Amino acid sequence: MDELFPTQEIGSLAKPAWRIKGYKNEPLSEEEIAEAERWGRKLGIEKITELIKILKNREKTTAEKKELLEWSARYAIRFFEKAGLDVVFDGEQWRSEMYEHIIRNIEGFKFLGSVKSFNYRYFNKAACISKPKYIKPIYVEEFIFTKNNTEREVKVPFTGPYTIVDWTFNEYYEKKLCDKIKDFKQRKAAARREFLFDLIHEIVKPEIGRLIGAGAKWIQIDEPAATTNPSEEEMQLFVEAFNETVKGFNCTFSLHNCYSDYEVLAKYASQLRNCSQLALEFANRDSRQTGIGENRTGYRELKLFEDYGFCGKYGLGVIDVHTDFVEPPELVRDRILHAVNLVGDPSRIYVSTDCGLRTRTWEVSFAKLKNMVAGAELARKTFR
Amino acid sequence: MIGCYATGVFPRPKELVEATRAYERRKINDENLEKIFHKATLKIVQAQISANFSYVTDGMLKWQDLLRPFTEKLHGVRVGALARWFSNNTFYRKPVVVEEIRREKDITAEIVCFECLPKNVLWKAILPAPYTFAKLAENRFYRNDTELMFKFAEILKAEIKTLTKKGFSYIQLSDPALVYNPFKRPISKDTLIAVRDALETAIRGTAVRTCLQTFFGDFSQILPEALDFPVTDLGIDLYETKFEKLKEYKFGKGIALGLVDARNSLVEDENELVNVAKELIGQVYLLEKRDIFICPNCDLDFLPWERAEEKLMVAGNVAKRLKAELNIHG
Repeated sequence: MDELFPTQEIGSLAKPAWRIKGYKNEPLSEEEIAEAERWGRKLGIEKITELIKILKNREKTTAEKKELLEWSARYAIRFFEKAGLDVVFDGEQWRSEMYEHIIRNIEGFKFLGSVKSFNYRYFNKAACISKPKYIKPIYVEEFIFTKNNTEREVKVPFTGPYTIVDWTFNEYYEKKLCDKIKDFKQRKAAARREFLFDLIHEIVKPEIGRLIGAGAKWIQIDEPAATTNPSEEEMQLFVEAFNETVKGFNCTFSLHNCYSDYEVLAKYASQLRNCSQLALEFANRDSRQTGIGENRTGYRELKLFEDYGFCGKYGLGVIDVHTDFVEPPELVRDRILHAVNLVGDPSRIYVSTDCGLRTRTWEVSFAKLKNMVAGAELARKTFR
Repeated sequence: MIGCYATGVFPRPKELVEATRAYERRKINDENLEKIFHKATLKIVQAQISANFSYVTDGMLKWQDLLRPFTEKLHGVRVGALARWFSNNTFYRKPVVVEEIRREKDITAEIVCFECLPKNVLWKAILPAPYTFAKLAENRFYRNDTELMFKFAEILKAEIKTLTKKGFSYIQLSDPALVYNPFKRPISKDTLIAVRDALETAIRGTAVRTCLQTFFGDFSQILPEALDFPVTDLGIDLYETKFEKLKEYKFGKGIALGLVDARNSLVEDENELVNVAKELIGQVYLLEKRDIFICPNCDLDFLPWERAEEKLMVAGNVAKRLKAELNIHG
């Protein structure tokens, strides 16, 4: 990127009702179809009538369902372009969810049902029941579609192996070690390690190889679980897993982590090899006042990454994805300029959302991204 | 005596998961949700009876987290931000202590489904231990966490009194924060003395059986001091505790052996659990004191309901076999 402060989103964008219901063959209301037309016109999408024809079809064929995925990916790519982002993807429109999508596309796993996340929120948790086996490309087709539909730089979000292991019941490996390791705690640790590295070698690396073969230049490893267990052993395991994941590939890699303990992550970030960028969530922790300096409370931990010697770039979260508050460009600017003061080098700052925008409406997301781009431009002006 | 019981919040069965989701989308009302909660509670109680549990809980299905009833109902506490529940992919709301904490009414009894509990099996209630509450709360009022811990212990004392009056025969205080120690910082003797005194404040005068249940960390860190805690039983997470260390001590108290792994769906081999239990019992017990409970290592709500149900049976079967093989009755 030649200009300072390139802009990017982390990965996901909400799926429109017409994509969700249409894919499930559920009837769509007139308003939902009108929504597809409205956004289509706003984004300058061509041949919308073809999409509408599919949406109005009560019994969609498998081919038509596939076309729907492509339509919604096309919308999302154009959405990001129209908002002015420099780096784009397809808003993960082909994926059900970051965890489920990868698990459903590999062998060796079985979904067991819902477990509580908090309150009345649950997630569908799988168990690893045999050695993970690669059966088909997971993200490649989606990547090729995105690449063919944009001129902008493409970054592929990739659910990281450490997070998959952390979010999965480890049945197969614990059972395998049953007779070998008597102490339950030691058995668990050994089984976790074996699961993790099998997953990296059997699934993650083959998929990365295929993505690179298809032309991917930048892969973002998403590891929200990175600091779930902050012990030295686990953090070293996480670092080892990342380094093994990216080893031997000629590609740009970055790491995304959010809603985590950055005091812990900061200590280990400099040990991540070939990690060109850390995309981190800060806006969620920050005040909404403009200004540079002490009122930028959310960015305190950025300094820790510097103090511990991380010298790559930062995907600086300047947009809070868990609120409809639309950050004014001036606030975005000040967050960027504050980060520059902490880091010292403006070329190390990419301007980013905290995380994917999938929980926001398209209206809110679009307004947020437009302001993020405008804020980056305001920040650039101060350096011209 | 060899018995078995659950040690925390149960997972919500599928129909209740669906109902709570529908409730969030405003597709069912309070009354309908309540009916489904009731039905699910009956199912959970029945599963414990089927597994021959010595004490039965109501499943705590309405508890959004271990602290929440207190976070929501104590005067002086506000419901704070979501925070990670130890090293799990689950979250709790931080209690934010902003003024003197006061119990103005019964807290947990209000959400117990008494009519779901059986007449012919003893009842067990589970509450957060003083140390865990103080450690996980955001203390904006008291001078330090120790002061908060003792204030909360007084609240617990009143709560325990209510629960025992209403028929509970066993009170478990859950204390994960006491042993969760990812950075391996030594736990000071002063801390353990304060914990003991706070437990004394909470439990003094209680006529029923009590337990301090620890999980998510190595129990041996709090030995030998824990042997003097004023509780009847001590609960140990055997998936976090090194067996060998445990064997260095002789227990004069009952032990709740967390042998069933509530954080993995793999259903345990009963033979293995029986052997581990026998080995531990042989090593850590003075012969005349053999009060043992076979239990899950922590709350079962890390599992989907169906798998939790299978694991209840494992706990029950292991207890049954131990009774037979060690020739212990009761």
